[in-house]
Amino acid sequence: MASWPENPRLIGKNIARLDGMAKASGKAKYPSDMRPEKMLFGVMLYSPHAHAKIKSIDTAAAEKMPGVAALVVIAKEGATLRFQGDDIAAVAAETEEQARDAVRAIKVDYEILPHAVTEAQATAPDAPKVMPRGNTQPGRAQVTGKPEDALKGADAVIEGEYSAPVITHVCLEPHGLTARWDKEDAITAWASTQAVQATAGELAGKFSIPQTNVTVLTPVMGGGFGSKFGADIWGLTAAELSQKAGGRPVKMFLDRVQEHLAAGNRPSVIGKVKLGGNKDGTLVGLIAETSGTGGTRGGSNFPFPYVYTVKDLSRKHTEIFVNGGGARAMRAPGHPQACIVMESAMDDLADKLGIDPLEMRLKNLPKDFRTKIYNEQVPIGAKLIGWENRKPRGENGKGPIKRGYGMALHQWGGGGTNDKQVACTISPDGSVEVKTATQDIGTGARTILAIIAAEILGLEVKDITSNIGNSTFPPGQPSGGSTTTPSMAPPCFNAVSKARDELFVRLGKAINEAPADLELKEGKVLVKGQPAMDWKEACRKLGMMPVSVTAGAAEGLASGGVGGCQFADVSVDVETGVVKINKIVAVQDSGLILDMLTWKSQVYGGVIGGLNYGLFEERVMDPGSGVMLNPDMELYKLAGLSDIPEIIVHAHDTPEMRARGVIGIGEPPTIGTAAAIGNAVTNAVGVRVNKFPMSPMNVLNALASASKEGKA
Amino acid sequence: MQAFEYAGPSTVEDALKALSGAKSSEALSGGTDLISRMKDYVTSPDRVVYLKGVKTLAGITAGPDGLTLGAGTKLADLIADKTVAEKYPALRQATLEVGTPQIRNMATVGGNLLQRPRCWYYRSGFGLLGMKDGKSLVRTGDNRYHSIFLTEGDALFANPSSLATPLVALGATATIVGDKGERTIPVEALYQVPKTAEDRELTIAPGELLSKITIPNPKGKNASYEARQKQAHDWPLVLCSVSIDGVGEINDSKIVIYGVAPVPWRSEAAEAAIKGHVLDAASASAAAEAAVKDAKPLSMNAYKVGLTKTVVKRALLAAIGNRYWEEA
Repeated sequence: MASWPENPRLIGKNIARLDGMAKASGKAKYPSDMRPEKMLFGVMLYSPHAHAKIKSIDTAAAEKMPGVAALVVIAKEGATLRFQGDDIAAVAAETEEQARDAVRAIKVDYEILPHAVTEAQATAPDAPKVMPRGNTQPGRAQVTGKPEDALKGADAVIEGEYSAPVITHVCLEPHGLTARWDKEDAITAWASTQAVQATAGELAGKFSIPQTNVTVLTPVMGGGFGSKFGADIWGLTAAELSQKAGGRPVKMFLDRVQEHLAAGNRPSVIGKVKLGGNKDGTLVGLIAETSGTGGTRGGSNFPFPYVYTVKDLSRKHTEIFVNGGGARAMRAPGHPQACIVMESAMDDLADKLGIDPLEMRLKNLPKDFRTKIYNEQVPIGAKLIGWENRKPRGENGKGPIKRGYGMALHQWGGGGTNDKQVACTISPDGSVEVKTATQDIGTGARTILAIIAAEILGLEVKDITSNIGNSTFPPGQPSGGSTTTPSMAPPCFNAVSKARDELFVRLGKAINEAPADLELKEGKVLVKGQPAMDWKEACRKLGMMPVSVTAGAAEGLASGGVGGCQFADVSVDVETGVVKINKIVAVQDSGLILDMLTWKSQVYGGVIGGLNYGLFEERVMDPGSGVMLNPDMELYKLAGLSDIPEIIVHAHDTPEMRARGVIGIGEPPTIGTAAAIGNAVTNAVGVRVNKFPMSPMNVLNALASASKEGKA
Repeated sequence: MQAFEYAGPSTVEDALKALSGAKSSEALSGGTDLISRMKDYVTSPDRVVYLKGVKTLAGITAGPDGLTLGAGTKLADLIADKTVAEKYPALRQATLEVGTPQIRNMATVGGNLLQRPRCWYYRSGFGLLGMKDGKSLVRTGDNRYHSIFLTEGDALFANPSSLATPLVALGATATIVGDKGERTIPVEALYQVPKTAEDRELTIAPGELLSKITIPNPKGKNASYEARQKQAHDWPLVLCSVSIDGVGEINDSKIVIYGVAPVPWRSEAAEAAIKGHVLDAASASAAAEAAVKDAKPLSMNAYKVGLTKTVVKRALLAAIGNRYWEEA
């Protein structure tokens, strides 16, 4: 079993990203910034209709348009297009404007079919068929014990319906790649992807060329959040256009509209919940019927019950298909939805029972390794948010501005795989390189590998060349599921340790010392604890031959499974429905933290993403025309700087947590934020606001319907 | 974006010539609206006439009879102007909340007044009325941001100009130049309610230019208040500007509301309700109540009725310095 250093010099400290300045100053070249010589611009033609059949496609006029170098038809005549944004064809031309004009010159004759773009439309009795297999796919009810009886015996039962709309990823850098045929069986692609090797594999497969001849480059990338795992149809089409254009590079990146329509989304959720508990806050029964839509692709199911243990329960999930772009993994797939439904119901039940929702949560924790984690984290978060200032629902002041507090617990895996590799080279000139075919989706992967190498070799982080984002490097981890760091840190540790050991053997031979007597510290080689020579001098003893080691993971350096809790302090103006967040607290564990600065940056980003989900984001589909009404960054609302409150990030970084080894952090901090905000808003205004986002419309509507029912 | 001819005149005369010399033309000022409409193929002019070179169109001039704003005056300059800050808080506040600093550094007074509706049906290519196959998509669709007045007609969008609201409340006039000369109209007369999909919501004719806005000296107090979802860059859901003739018994007032009708909505009902009363919490509430009495919301925007009530009340109270909603 390998183990991390007990008293690290660099690991766990605040270390700035190696490429941070380049990214902040605009010097870093993103894949979409690349302009290889003789590059053509690719533009996709996609369906303007939610549901249509292609009667005919006529490309003759488009092919004759000025500047057009290649044209590819993707959807054949007779094909059914199932959402606005479905792919039809693509053009490569000398300029972007020419390519855009040319796709508009492609004549498509559509037979427009009736559509269903909302959950309500798709489940209406006379709904048109979205998919050949039907519009819904009811899951089998999972039943444990006798939930009906349990609810009958409960001291209190709440019945609630909680929902959140489909949202989209809104990566700042759009999806796409620039592909170039280097020779008849070789491709280079600059791709904005979270999986360079999978992208290379898809390109090789599509054209039946050796994968070793495909180089996918992603030195940096502008966000993926789960939506950028492969070449995608547009990426493969870029390569096809390049092939047709004699190998000239073709740049194909989606525009913002297409990003919203076709590049993935987080499924909606509607959860109808009956939850019962006893006076002391113990949950006794749960009946949940949930549903959601992932467009044409499905994937709206989620783990439920979430976090808490309920003995007697029944849960049924129905997948709804609509004529909308397909869902893709989005930062902690399923969990934010699960958290919203569960944590809203938890708060409503605590309110009905008249007990502190924080206490009720602690009463119902799962009996596993997370019990202790939550029990430690919740009091920390409560103190940081000022939970003692929280008042029961509806007791938040006489003026129009009501202050409220809410919280939510979440969980995630974040364990890595153990099949990835890192290569470490120590050259005779003293330079050190670590490399692997992973990529930095924003977690700081490049920096983290350098920190590990510098730690082991007694060097500074800047002394290490950290090379990632190249599919031809040793096998690296795709960045999904918070697995990159726990998958890549162990092989990095292992490869650098082995390289150091080989250096010691060869150096020992050269200077007549036993390798076991050698150590590395602060840029020096120590012999029997005494500084003997500096790093560069030692490396020169390697002669002409560098040390080069490629290694896989070592046992004992990583694990999985995290908890986490978040708290929100909000002010709601009940006369306008406007929600202002005063503060958010995130308490999060993730085992051994390698770089506190990039770790915190992940948590900030996760919280801000969750804030957007809680307050602003919503894909608005028009039932009449079937189109998305807000495929932009304006009416598709996202927080600006002044919408972002003070965020307190507390790393649950204890000796016990560190001993668990490395665990991923990308996903967990975005899970609980929206649920905590929803609970804070509800606490403030005194009635459940059951529809996300917490917009003035949804807040005012909740207040109005409660007042109609005489509740407020 | 469709290819277009480009003209960059430096005089009003040349600008007018350039505007009328093509089959269709659009005047380009800050570009914060026109460029995105062109990119989305909502507007595809044959010629774009850039007005930045026409120096006489920009600038703020204070005179004995009021203040003149050149149509090309940037919103940022309007916000920084001393006279505006002292005499026209209603205008300054509404302008301050437009867009972002970047937008306010580009966008102009004329561009803000003459921007096209932000209705997402219009912006999706379904025309001003948001029709498909002769039926209103808006009425049965997602109309959360649409009107609550004049909804018996087909024009359901909301007027998008944050500046029109205070300017109407302040009794401002607009001067329009064309090849037949100059005419001056009240700011509210820049707008009309389109009856058919072919009508425009702007009364300015193709080939004409908005040259300046003149605001008379304020009589008493004026103020604006807006509610919107985001603190950062966002459109008002509802905005109200008021001007009242004094702090005592009110004889003359103008109460104008944004976000509730296809034109800047002057609420004569609210004005009548406040007339003869001293402005205070009770009379402001009564005026707010009157303002929405005849509202006919659409399927999804009933929430705007209550919201409008609040916004009218707050704009009135802001005029006398009562900002009760800011109390802890």
